[in-house]
Amino acid sequence: MTVIWTQDGIVEDDPWSQPESEGGPKLLPLAEALDHAQDNAPFGVVLQPADDVRALAPILERVAIVALTFPAFSDGRAFSQAMLLRERLGYQGEMRAVGTVLLDQVPLMLRTGFDSFEVEHAPTIKRLAEKRLPGIDLHYQPAADETRAGPGYSWRRTAMLNG
Amino acid sequence: MYRYDEFDHAFVAARVSQFRDQVERRLTGEISEDAFKPLRLMNGVYLQLHAYMLRVAVPYGTLDSRQMRKLAHIARTYDRGYGHFTTRQNIQYNWPKLSDIPAILEELAEVEMHAIQTSGNCIRNVTADHFAGAAADEVADPRPYAEILRQWSSVHPEFSFLPRKFKIAVTAAERDRAAIQTHDIGLQLKKNDQGELGFAVWIGGGQGRTPILAKKVRDFLPEADLLSYVTAIMRVYNLHGRRDNKYKARIKILVHETGVEQLSAEIEAEWQHLKDGELKLPEADIAAINAYFEPPKLAPRAEGWGELAAWKKSDPGFADWVGRNVAPHRHPDYAMVTISLKPIGGIPGDASAAQMDAVARLAEEFAHDEIRVTHEQNLVLPHVALADLEPLYRALLADGLATANAGLITDIIACPGLDYCALANARSIPVAQEISNRFGDPARQAEIGDLKIKISGCINACGHHHVGHIGILGVEKKGAELYQISLGGSGDENASIGQITGRGFEPHQITDAIETIVDTYLAQRSSTEETFIECYRRIGADPFKAALYSSEAEAA
Repeated sequence: MTVIWTQDGIVEDDPWSQPESEGGPKLLPLAEALDHAQDNAPFGVVLQPADDVRALAPILERVAIVALTFPAFSDGRAFSQAMLLRERLGYQGEMRAVGTVLLDQVPLMLRTGFDSFEVEHAPTIKRLAEKRLPGIDLHYQPAADETRAGPGYSWRRTAMLNG
Repeated sequence: MYRYDEFDHAFVAARVSQFRDQVERRLTGEISEDAFKPLRLMNGVYLQLHAYMLRVAVPYGTLDSRQMRKLAHIARTYDRGYGHFTTRQNIQYNWPKLSDIPAILEELAEVEMHAIQTSGNCIRNVTADHFAGAAADEVADPRPYAEILRQWSSVHPEFSFLPRKFKIAVTAAERDRAAIQTHDIGLQLKKNDQGELGFAVWIGGGQGRTPILAKKVRDFLPEADLLSYVTAIMRVYNLHGRRDNKYKARIKILVHETGVEQLSAEIEAEWQHLKDGELKLPEADIAAINAYFEPPKLAPRAEGWGELAAWKKSDPGFADWVGRNVAPHRHPDYAMVTISLKPIGGIPGDASAAQMDAVARLAEEFAHDEIRVTHEQNLVLPHVALADLEPLYRALLADGLATANAGLITDIIACPGLDYCALANARSIPVAQEISNRFGDPARQAEIGDLKIKISGCINACGHHHVGHIGILGVEKKGAELYQISLGGSGDENASIGQITGRGFEPHQITDAIETIVDTYLAQRSSTEETFIECYRRIGADPFKAALYSSEAEAA
């Protein structure tokens, strides 16, 4: 079973994961999204790792959700796509990790700006539901998550309490 | 040297408990071996032929005696009484139990050490010139910048699942002792005309099955821009490096296929967005990290000059050792001492727990508590008074650590090979041992002079055979081991990739083949001053090939 998880918990009735046949809105691939930009209805985009996220810049205001794909847990391109979306393009909407989403990658995904997760792996769902993430609250580098300045040096950060 | 503050201590403790949790979930089956593999690799844990292997980071090769004693303790308590120093200035333990590894990591944390990112497709332990902070020819100590990179790269959220491993080396001298041109990023610290510090930046060097020397992309990057520029390189590589074939996944292939001009333009474009951001290094931070690397206060010890001359006169063995293993320090009364981990017929890079304890004790007594690990698999005491060289030598002799062969033919680099490694096609250690025994006579070694032999047991090239003056590569052919020879490689500021001589040699022929090459050099050199590599560069490969393959029928 696939669930959608955010830091508030498991999301019931997530519209973007409803099958289209049941009236759910569709996540559009990049090329379709660029064509679709004339319509008024809000729409979502699903990007593949080779897509250039910067192509979304002209239409980003109208995008309701961006899903970035991890075709395998070892394929880390979406971490850089996420950083570019948040830091370069200033995207503030929902950013979802889809594909192979495993527990030990979730803290890194949160740091690079993901805020929702499509998860299939049962042990991962269990730990996420219990809010027992395996991350480290001390960071040696700025990223896209909300953090405090860390002690000592300019590159250090610490997690926000109850972030 | 750098000392952990509370933040570092808390981080490493958190990393240990994170790994403990990962091991527990693996043991209960919540994580598949497939998914666990990159997690354990990012903590230095390999599954080898016979057992797990733990690779412990020695950041930029710098240790103090307390840390060395801990490494000895771990060897004694959790392993079989020895450890193996590697070509990336780390130490490997070959026989730990997986269930002991969290406890070993806790022990390491007590002395401000860890195994973070010693493997995996992430930014690996940052290496540096092993003579840093003592060499006369450096413009500044490169280690503070390696420490900044170590911190910044630790559990980096964007760069933990790169296409392939990523290695950074830093040097601060024209004479390159850190082999920066064979690294994914090579940094040479230098001063511009205004006396400001910055880096020449090289990218895309690497060995493996496609050896390529790095290309220079910046002649002078101001020091404040170090992290932002490296981030730009990493981001372009993470997004565009090949992921379809692990043998084409290093940044060297991206540089090669994209072209250095275009790739460099992409990096610069990315950097324009980053350079004035949060990663710009404040002067105060650079100064604060530099303060940890203040050189020790070295009192004048001019009496050593006279004593040294007298000792050398009375003891030829000591004189040989000084001649090979002792290098000038920037303080005229001091020296940098190489402790060879290449005893004749021994295993390159191995040290017993007793030897590690001895080095720790001697570092305290004679060397201001500083020890270095070299990428040539030796140890260095960087600050020894000339007046202390003789008692130091006596003590090293007692522990089998006074082999006078630094830079000679028996100072061989070798990977663990088929005796340990799951990737290897052939054994490396016995080849190194046999060559070492064949050429072990001190007079013969001295006659041959500077000559670097590097041996890898497979094409992954952990033994750096591509940059050996003589490189030996073990391959498997029809189920048997075969050794290819390459000549003319070099990993220094005049870096070059060795050229294969031709058909490989069987295990029982390889040492004879090396001897043929050495004899050819001795016959061809213009004078005793002309080193092997100089001679090779002058006369080329043909005389060596002719000597190796002239009796073709006989050899076959």
